[in-house]
Amino acid sequence: MRSTPMKAPLDHPGWQLIPGQLIGMALLLLVALGLGSMLITAGGLDLSTVFNSRYLRGVVWFTVWQATLSVLVSLALALPISRALARYRRFPGRSALLRVMELSLVLPTIVAVSGIIGVYGRQGWVTGLLTEWFPGNGWNLYGLNGILLAHIFFNAPLAARVMLQSLEAVPPSRLRIASQLGLRGWWLWRSVEWPALRPVLPGLSALVFTLCFTSFAIIMTLGGGPAATTLEVAIYQALRFEFDFPQAAVLAVIQLLICGSLWWLVFRQRLETSLLPNRQLSHRVPLKPWPTQAVLSGILLLAFSLFLLLPLLAISIRGLPALLTLNTGASIYEQLLPATGRSLLIALPAGLGSVAASLMILASANKTTNPILKAIPTTTGYLPLIVPPIVLGTGLFLLLRPSLGNHAQGWVLVALINSLMALPFVIQVLRGPLNSQDSHSLRVADQLGILGWYRWRRIFWPLLRRPMALGLAYGIALSMGDFGVIALFGSPGQPTLPVLLYQQLSSYQVSAAAGTGLWLLVLLVSIFGLLSAIGRPPAHQREAIFPETTLEPEHA
Amino acid sequence: MLYRLSLLLLAITLPLATHSADRPELNVYTHPSFAAEWGPGPGVKDAFEKQCDCALNYTVLNSGGDILQRLRLEGTSTPADVVLGLDTATMETALQTGLIGEHKRSLDALALPIEWDDTHFIPYDWGYFAFVYDTQQLSEPPTSFEELISSSDDLKIIIQDPRTSTPGLGLLLWMHSVYGDKAPVKWEQLNDKVLATTQSWSDGYFSLFMNGEAPMILSYSTSPAYHMAVDKTDRYQAVQFEEGHYLQVEVAALIESSQQKVLARRFLDFMLTPEFQKHIPLKNVMYPAIDLGDDLPGVFDRLITPEHTFFLPPADVAEQRRQLVNDWLDAMTR
Repeated sequence: MRSTPMKAPLDHPGWQLIPGQLIGMALLLLVALGLGSMLITAGGLDLSTVFNSRYLRGVVWFTVWQATLSVLVSLALALPISRALARYRRFPGRSALLRVMELSLVLPTIVAVSGIIGVYGRQGWVTGLLTEWFPGNGWNLYGLNGILLAHIFFNAPLAARVMLQSLEAVPPSRLRIASQLGLRGWWLWRSVEWPALRPVLPGLSALVFTLCFTSFAIIMTLGGGPAATTLEVAIYQALRFEFDFPQAAVLAVIQLLICGSLWWLVFRQRLETSLLPNRQLSHRVPLKPWPTQAVLSGILLLAFSLFLLLPLLAISIRGLPALLTLNTGASIYEQLLPATGRSLLIALPAGLGSVAASLMILASANKTTNPILKAIPTTTGYLPLIVPPIVLGTGLFLLLRPSLGNHAQGWVLVALINSLMALPFVIQVLRGPLNSQDSHSLRVADQLGILGWYRWRRIFWPLLRRPMALGLAYGIALSMGDFGVIALFGSPGQPTLPVLLYQQLSSYQVSAAAGTGLWLLVLLVSIFGLLSAIGRPPAHQREAIFPETTLEPEHA
Repeated sequence: MLYRLSLLLLAITLPLATHSADRPELNVYTHPSFAAEWGPGPGVKDAFEKQCDCALNYTVLNSGGDILQRLRLEGTSTPADVVLGLDTATMETALQTGLIGEHKRSLDALALPIEWDDTHFIPYDWGYFAFVYDTQQLSEPPTSFEELISSSDDLKIIIQDPRTSTPGLGLLLWMHSVYGDKAPVKWEQLNDKVLATTQSWSDGYFSLFMNGEAPMILSYSTSPAYHMAVDKTDRYQAVQFEEGHYLQVEVAALIESSQQKVLARRFLDFMLTPEFQKHIPLKNVMYPAIDLGDDLPGVFDRLITPEHTFFLPPADVAEQRRQLVNDWLDAMTR
């Protein structure tokens, strides 16, 4: 007896194509509105104002210069770190280090910067040691030094993680051959590691470059003065006090042009490079390192761990007294707990939204071969990175102006924009695993008629489970730490954690603010810990589903 | 799709959520340090609601600049009835939006170091910009700009960016008042002393100064009052500069297009009563705008009292600010 198979839910091809396109267009509309409103108020675009001003030329030059330096140093550091992490998989604390590396990207800048100052500032621990060992060394955190240091703190772990992911995706067959041939050092690098890393380097460099290019809070605190100013800062300043729409628009366009063309180059190149071959067996192939290499790598990993952990330790030491004071009653928690609730209320939907939107965007880009339809979702997914938030905010404001006003709407908006802001990061996390589904499995699935929801459930879900948990953690954490958007639309009578932190800072509540900073840090650690535990499939499932195609990067 | 749907949902639910209470509502745009739990905002709200049979709502924007920005974007459709938290440096810009109405209030109660007869803005507190120093790091602070400029190389100060911060702009006007045309040259000399120019006062004060990164920071003459009264420490004090100090006055105004003008004017009157003003000294850490008599906390007697007060009329500030900022940028990046 033959039964007709039931039609799979959501199996119409449009479900993969259309939502991502809509999100892409909505983003484009938002940017166009924001930028358009500035341009209309400005009455045109006069690029000569920038070229005629010594200061603004300096700003453009410095922005590019510091971003380039930050990329070079971050990647140069990330490379040996990721190789060491890929090779020595059993050293104690490896997974803890990976967690911390995930965390550094989402740590709210103001919290991280206070930690960095605690370590490298004039009164910092490291500075103290330096002065003791090398008197008169002339170390000064404020200026290019501080900017670079903070950018490396934020971006080197991110870069190392992405590189590690690529190194771990090297097909074991290739590793086995390398192992049999006894390849090491330069030859191993040439034949195995470099081919694995090369495809991700352009995108990674562009990502780090953009993050450093649009850096704001770091520059404002550690830059030391107007000699070190980025375009993003200049845009903000032009709008904030000067209401200089023409200048803000010109600067925003320059920023879009520089970062946009960079991404354009990357996408153009990426479309031509074939993606990584990606069947991965569950067991690892041992490679023979030089004996000294193991020691060097150990030292390197230790130093890197210290580099990441010391600022976090500084934050903890400063914040603990406030969190532990019991004699004043539970006063600090009376504000912290409701603020935490509000933050979660915004961050959870924002995180879920950004993961859902990223999947739709990636699905939409993969579904079509039409170059324009493909370009809309992929490129717009990165728009939130290069468009100043104040431009996005203005766009949204204009879009919704007649109906803005009460708190609940404000919060929906904040969650919405936060999820947009997290898109580039979540896409970065999900892109690899989603695209690494091998064509063989997909062909088999096609033949068996596994479509729509079932296809997702059976084929993609096991593969994406952990990356999605990581993406969710990024989305939630970025939203938890957001101050810019919530300041634009939030209702500060009921502060979220970052707003509370700023309120405390502007009212001499220094120790309470340190406590709030630590509280945020602890929350972020818990979110990452919890989601990575949830993301790990239960033991009985690990072997059951397509055991030989488990492609999940183990650290995701 | 989710995104699209939520937008749609938003559009549908918006009208439902706008009017809930029967009592008239007064919407006040202000900044975080006023509305925060430990700021004067909550106390003022309670006191005013008791006597007005209305609801006082704060919309808290990040700074005076953001209040103005929001007003400009909203135009006459703004739901704001009152703005509170502008100062003498941003008044003129606010006036130029055309959204500010005349207050028509009596200003007799005011007790400011200067005459105040503005028809649109009413002051609610004031203070002087001053350098606050850490007595544990600096036993003999410089007592004038001249001394500061010629002090030893390891004396570093933290200032704020005049484009994003009220005290930062205050220092610019202060230097301009003291030195006039020579100010750019003096800025160039002062540049060596500047450890960091931060975006906001709180960034500098919390992240750097309280961490001991520099012994001196540009702040308010009233800052030590908070440390003395609440933190119970005399460690942080302001230096009195021989040249004199620049005055900051924080102001409020009513919005011309408001539907609640009667209520708004009542609030402006309330602003100059002790019920409002008693929250100012230790919660906003500024001088009250009226004479509080014995209600002024004792620590305020221990603050510096400048011999000379600098103050530029708001219209002059608006006219010159751009040029002053550009000169400053030029001097600091040279």
